[in-house]
Amino acid sequence: MSLNRIKIESLARVEGHGGITVDFKEGKLKAVTVDIHEGPRLLETIAQGRVPSEVVSLTCRICAICTLSHRYAALRAMEKALEIEVPPKVRLMRDLMHCGEMIESHALHVFILALPDYLGYPSAVHMASEYLEDVQAGLRVKRFGVRLMELTAARSIHGENPVIGGFGRYPSKSELLRFKYEAESLIPDAERGVEILRNLRQPTYMEEGMTFMCTKPEHDRYGWVADRIIVSNGQEFNAWDYRKLTNERVVPHSMAKRSRFQDKPYFVGALARFNLLGERLDGVAGEHFRRCYNLSWIRNPMYNNVAQAIETVWALEEAPRIIDKLLTHEEDPAIVAPSRDKGAGSAAVEAPRGTLYHHYEIAEGRVVHTDIITPTAQFLDMMESHIRVAAKNLTDEGDTDNIELKLEMVVRAYDPCISCATHLVKVNWE
Amino acid sequence: MMASKTQAAKPKVGFYGFTGCAGDLLAILHCEDELLDIFNAVDVRSFLMASSDVHDDEELDVAFLEGSITTNHQLESLADIRKRSKILVAIGSCACFGGPQAARLGYGDWKERFKKVYGNTKHTVAKPFESHPLDEYIKVDYHIPGCPIDRYQFFFALTRLAQGMSVELTTFPVCAECKWNENECLLLNAQLCLGPVTAGGCDSRCPSHNLPCIGCWGPTSEANVASEIDLLKERNFSSEEIVSKLRLFGGAAMVRRFADLLGIKAEEPARKPRPKKVREPVVTGRAKKKSPSKRPAAKSRAKKR
Repeated sequence: MSLNRIKIESLARVEGHGGITVDFKEGKLKAVTVDIHEGPRLLETIAQGRVPSEVVSLTCRICAICTLSHRYAALRAMEKALEIEVPPKVRLMRDLMHCGEMIESHALHVFILALPDYLGYPSAVHMASEYLEDVQAGLRVKRFGVRLMELTAARSIHGENPVIGGFGRYPSKSELLRFKYEAESLIPDAERGVEILRNLRQPTYMEEGMTFMCTKPEHDRYGWVADRIIVSNGQEFNAWDYRKLTNERVVPHSMAKRSRFQDKPYFVGALARFNLLGERLDGVAGEHFRRCYNLSWIRNPMYNNVAQAIETVWALEEAPRIIDKLLTHEEDPAIVAPSRDKGAGSAAVEAPRGTLYHHYEIAEGRVVHTDIITPTAQFLDMMESHIRVAAKNLTDEGDTDNIELKLEMVVRAYDPCISCATHLVKVNWE
Repeated sequence: MMASKTQAAKPKVGFYGFTGCAGDLLAILHCEDELLDIFNAVDVRSFLMASSDVHDDEELDVAFLEGSITTNHQLESLADIRKRSKILVAIGSCACFGGPQAARLGYGDWKERFKKVYGNTKHTVAKPFESHPLDEYIKVDYHIPGCPIDRYQFFFALTRLAQGMSVELTTFPVCAECKWNENECLLLNAQLCLGPVTAGGCDSRCPSHNLPCIGCWGPTSEANVASEIDLLKERNFSSEEIVSKLRLFGGAAMVRRFADLLGIKAEEPARKPRPKKVREPVVTGRAKKKSPSKRPAAKSRAKKR
């Protein structure tokens, strides 16, 4: 019996519709493709000719899990294009909402989507039969992230409160204080995720060296928003030169475009941020990082799960610090009006699953060009490469029991944003 | 706790997503406090985003579908789910109206726009086409609008449907909720607010944050779009600006019901791609020939029969 084709029609517990096909010929691995079945939306063309505020409401709807990262990137790019300088309180509020999204997205991924694989369950609900306290801890952390987004953005998904030039409404001091104390109280719950993952053995069948990339904040602290991009080969770029970094192209088997840096696939996401900036992590999160980090982190994408768990702890530590600063700003600033009606702007922010770029060109108050490069589009090639290595190693060693699950775990470690479909995993044996 | 022995008696429910942002399914996953209860109260047979324990060849009591239809595979899958489900519920603006990806329905420029984004690459995965809402292809029993849906409306619908009861959702506009929240009227401040014509249920989220309603829940069944346009024109907004806002989330509902007012060709929904393999009468016959004007779009409909 030899393996002819492994086809995972629909990946479960990822956001979006995608599958994997692994083809063999005469026992040799021939091709690996990540197939994206997500239907095309052409939102770039819907943006054409609209006023900037409408486009911000539109582009955040590219993805529900990263909605605020999209919004943050769009606002920064639009404000660069329209020459708007926002006051410090606006920047603090945006960082706070960004924390909310990181906490929510990571808690969802670590506890609900990824952990069931390690512990041998099809879902967190099934996992709750044995690990109820852990699932509940994860849900508490996630709930807080959701509520922090509601507080700052008016809604947890597609919140409209952050607008070009500021916010429609600011939370009250008492609300902010309540969230500060709650964040602090949830740190042990988030640490539970780190502890579980730290004590599990990470599989190694997919290991392969990677190129990493992330935004590099100007200050010397850890952070998710910057105009500089750092690459693991030591190079640095300006965010507005993002095309040099991403080199997008279209492939036939995918409705998502693909990216390569200097003709090589690369990784973006929590693991990239930790490999490049992990030394900047402070507090409890910093301690966890230093305890967990090892050299496998530069070639094993499974550690992205651990990095996300630690980043959740950092976000819960960072939110109270931001709130303390916010409380020193008494006045709620008015929304800043644009000083011109034309221009071009590019901006990068770290979405939970990696660096996200938005670029807009505006003429006579209308958006005439939109370019958005999502983290998933950037790391698809890297993911394909890791699946190839995994499929090769597993079949070479004859370790083909549950091979679909083992390949799916690699995909889930990336935390891709595609969206899920219907069928189950199928393997063609010949 | 999950291995309850009454499992067999529980209504079978499936959750599915098509083209969109997955925000409506995510809104359900965001019910952290109730999530384990939901999975306990009903027998979730399919929720791929949350669980790899999927059974997609079974009859369902209720199917919740988010997203719009943009490929031939989705069309086949949609027909299959309809065939297997007693009750089918469209959740979210994309499933109900086609979503922002349907904002240019009626302009006939989809092919050109597709080429602009993807170039001349021939895709091997699926045959794509312009976004349409679910009820242009199959019978939809209930519409729960929202971008994303509101969790309380979802709980309400789920609990009623799980018990075999019908659902009636809100039919009032955002404007009504805005009054209940005692907000200052933004239209009086000369802001382009779509509150009067947009489906309520969001607790007038944007006006309560001093921001105009952007219409993301789509038009209410009672929307008086003509009067809204007049009112906005009186406040010196151009037709172009008003139409642009109304169309961003209005999708197929705007094309069906207000084409004349908006200066769009009313030819949609005429050229619908047909599913390749499925020859279910429910797919090709029913929903197609119906006059567009008869179709209430924003509100849920009580089941006929």
